[in-house]
Amino acid sequence: MRKIKKDTVLGYCFILPAVIYMLVFIGYPIIYNWLISMQDVTAKTLGSPVRDFIGLDNFITIFGDATFRASLVHTFVYTIGCLVFQFLFGFIFALFFTKKFSLAKPIRGFIVISWMLPVTVTALVFKFMYADNGIINTILLNLHLIKEPLGWLLDGKMAMVGLIIANSWVGIPFNMLLLTTGLNEIPAEIYEASSIDGANKIQQLFRLTIPLLKQTILSALVLGFVLTFKVFDLVYVMTGGGPVDSTEVLSTYSYKLSFQMFHFGEGAAVANVLFVCLLAVALVYLHVSSSEE
Amino acid sequence: MKKIHLKERQKSIILTILAILIACVFLFPIYWIVINSFKIDSEIFANPPTLWPRAFTLDAYKAQLRNLTVTFKNSVIIAGGSLCISLLLSVPAAYGLAKFKVKGTKVFMLVFLITQMLPASLVLTPLYLTFSKLHLLNSYLAPILSTATVSIPFVVLMLRPSFMNIPTELVEAAKIDGCNALSAFLRVVVPISKPTVVTAACFSFVFAWNDLAYSMTFNTKDAFRPMTSAIYTFMNQYGTQWNKIMAYGVLLILPCCIIFVTMQKHIVEGMTSGSVKG
Amino acid sequence: MKKTAALLSISLLAATMAPMMVSAEEASPEGRTEITFWHYMSEDKEGKYVNQAVEEFNNSQDEIWVNAQYLPREELMKQYTIGVVSGELPDVGMVDNPDHNSYASMGVFEDITDLFNSTEGCNFLEGSIGSCYYEGKLYGVPWGNNCLGLFYNKDLLDAAGVEVPTNWSELEAACEALTTDTTYGLAISAIGNEEGTFQYMPWLYSAGGSVTDMTGDGAVKSMEYLYGLIEKGYMSKEVIKWTQADAEKQFASGQAAMMINGPWQFDGIANDAPDLNYGVTLVPKADDGDYASVLGGENIGICAGTEHLDEAWTFITWITSAEKSADICSSIGRYSPRSDVNIQEMFADDPLNSALAAAMDGAVSRGPSPVWPELSAAVYTAEQEIFTGQKDIPTALADAQATIDGLGME
Repeated sequence: MRKIKKDTVLGYCFILPAVIYMLVFIGYPIIYNWLISMQDVTAKTLGSPVRDFIGLDNFITIFGDATFRASLVHTFVYTIGCLVFQFLFGFIFALFFTKKFSLAKPIRGFIVISWMLPVTVTALVFKFMYADNGIINTILLNLHLIKEPLGWLLDGKMAMVGLIIANSWVGIPFNMLLLTTGLNEIPAEIYEASSIDGANKIQQLFRLTIPLLKQTILSALVLGFVLTFKVFDLVYVMTGGGPVDSTEVLSTYSYKLSFQMFHFGEGAAVANVLFVCLLAVALVYLHVSSSEE
Repeated sequence: MKKIHLKERQKSIILTILAILIACVFLFPIYWIVINSFKIDSEIFANPPTLWPRAFTLDAYKAQLRNLTVTFKNSVIIAGGSLCISLLLSVPAAYGLAKFKVKGTKVFMLVFLITQMLPASLVLTPLYLTFSKLHLLNSYLAPILSTATVSIPFVVLMLRPSFMNIPTELVEAAKIDGCNALSAFLRVVVPISKPTVVTAACFSFVFAWNDLAYSMTFNTKDAFRPMTSAIYTFMNQYGTQWNKIMAYGVLLILPCCIIFVTMQKHIVEGMTSGSVKG
Repeated sequence: MKKTAALLSISLLAATMAPMMVSAEEASPEGRTEITFWHYMSEDKEGKYVNQAVEEFNNSQDEIWVNAQYLPREELMKQYTIGVVSGELPDVGMVDNPDHNSYASMGVFEDITDLFNSTEGCNFLEGSIGSCYYEGKLYGVPWGNNCLGLFYNKDLLDAAGVEVPTNWSELEAACEALTTDTTYGLAISAIGNEEGTFQYMPWLYSAGGSVTDMTGDGAVKSMEYLYGLIEKGYMSKEVIKWTQADAEKQFASGQAAMMINGPWQFDGIANDAPDLNYGVTLVPKADDGDYASVLGGENIGICAGTEHLDEAWTFITWITSAEKSADICSSIGRYSPRSDVNIQEMFADDPLNSALAAAMDGAVSRGPSPVWPELSAAVYTAEQEIFTGQKDIPTALADAQATIDGLGME
């Protein structure tokens, strides 16, 4: 009896410091953020000990703000665009690299490096490549795919496409890895059996691989959604939300409201909208991954 | 039989060539960062762009040697500090969650899973206001404390499964040899799991190293600015001096590349286990 | 085993030591009063002359020690806004002259009317010191002036057989002749910040417009003209991303045959393209309008809440004195804002500077108005919306005017 008790105490000693740390530096700020979003916090009231409680005024203000509504739409467009793009390529890469040929594993491993690099640098190098006379336009011109240079980051829609491509560069390897893990768990015998039954490769893909990978695919998509939806660095560095707000997303707009215009209350309100969206998806994910077990 | 074998080999060669091509296209941006940092100003936007510098030069590095060294040092201090906090807290936590049957394990796991999914932008405003009150803005501590929150949940989720695989008998044996729970953890568990712990350390370092949002918001003075926010500020000021921007870029990706190349296998394994589930 | 334990203990040590490594600022010599001075003259360019001057001041006496700190412009503005509340302001601070009013209204700067009136030898041009007044009180003094002109690449113009353009039609014709596969006719900065508004104003005012009347003919004509240059391919679409420093790079590398820029770029061009054969003239005027120029430059003031008011004032009067002002301004590509410094005389044998300094006469000032930053944002946003094709000209300008009307200016 005593031993069990001692074990419990020890267990808490190991676990609690990290939990407490996370509660202090993430949990408390989340609650504080709700408080700020219901107060009138600007550069002028920042220092005063008592700030006016204004209820949902900040939320009413932001929902009446065209830029906020646009950034909400952009966030979803961006997220869905990235998901489709990086999942498709991730899946193709995963199928390709699970084929048996020499160097398959090391090359697959190397591609993953794009996931490790600072997003700031990724954003910058893509910005550089997208320039009017940058390498991408030059290649496209030489292949005669375009007649004049594309204004990649100069036009709202193109800038969004540019962001999606850059983000997918980071996301593809991640999707590839998750899906590879799933693919490797499928026993080879199943394929052998089906090829005896006369199923061709494409039938195998849709009738066997995809249904068997359902759980993995679902978690890759949900996880991808969460990781993409909270984008900040990439958009902030590459387009800064521009040209003229056309790639503004929730996180960059929240940052701008708080730290460029010093409307902390409104910035916090935007962040909370982001929080609600993410939490909803995170709960779905937890549900999915627990039903997996 | 022999024919089939040959066909298989041919197929393998074709696939390998294809894979190499894919990798070359895919990794081109990295090459582009490195190669452009060695070009002179006028060659940056040469038409057509040069794949190899006509005049190979270190000017872009020399021109900003002082900035590079200061910001590199800042990045190392911030990433190093964050790594320490993260490991100190998350390695024991992962062990506790793996090997002790305590009430609330599920709740604790949930705390880590959910906090891992939340973005920096959510807590920037409240943390800024708090740090401002505590006079922690423009210090190394503010980004260290905040970036550790990125890696702690990741490391916990990544290490827990590998700690679970350690046979309980080993720990029991150590205890019989006179170890208490802590020394058994330090002398037996950690050494056995060394590769995963080192991988965890690498991730913690890289996450903090890559951070832009926290350090950009909390540290506005040059003296404490890490490379990520320095390169961003630099780009805003000298937008088209891409060779100098890329020189920062090379130093920024250098640690990540070194870590990645030396530990590739562990990193790739850790990536999936750390971000998916415990 | 031991290694890991050692690693952990080192980590612990490092973590506890981190807070101690916080401060790294240079200590002042003993016995002196230390004052801090924030400026945004970037360290590798103008900043080195500022540092030189500060060093000279520090060596010239033994009571005051000035600690100069560089912050990028945007960053500096942020720090002022936040600093009012947190109390973390320097003793002396530099500010872009159109923003001075706004910061004075927020309480960033100390009222120095009395100090100024009781000090002799403070002779500044009226147009320049005007931006330092807010509600009748003085919050700083001018540091340096600048203005915009047309820079042209003589070799390219000669090769194309083009005369230096003086009005919009000539400019457009010149652009047409100069634009090739690798070279644009003209480079400007139309970026989404104060620089964009600054560069747009000469066009606006030459066409008879004003920043408070964005739906008038002047605004419409000037936007149509500039957007036309982009549409015809004479100006890169990338101008919406270019700072004035970027425009300089384009010009120096020969990728733009002409550019709109100011005197602080002479140094940059000399560095980037020492052999570039170029000239400077006034920004071309509207065909039926007059030449227009815009007053740029910085002011410096004493920040609110300083404990060293007199020392700060001593430093300011020293660094803006006739001798120092003439000296520093010519090094950093500014024109001295003092009425007792004769600029034309100073640049008698410097054709570039004297041509550009001519544009200082009658240069339009931005503001002064406490809501200038918001007003400016409305102007550059409209310009960006038009140049990217997101809105047509009447819509963008009407939206800008609606924003400006909402600012409650008298």
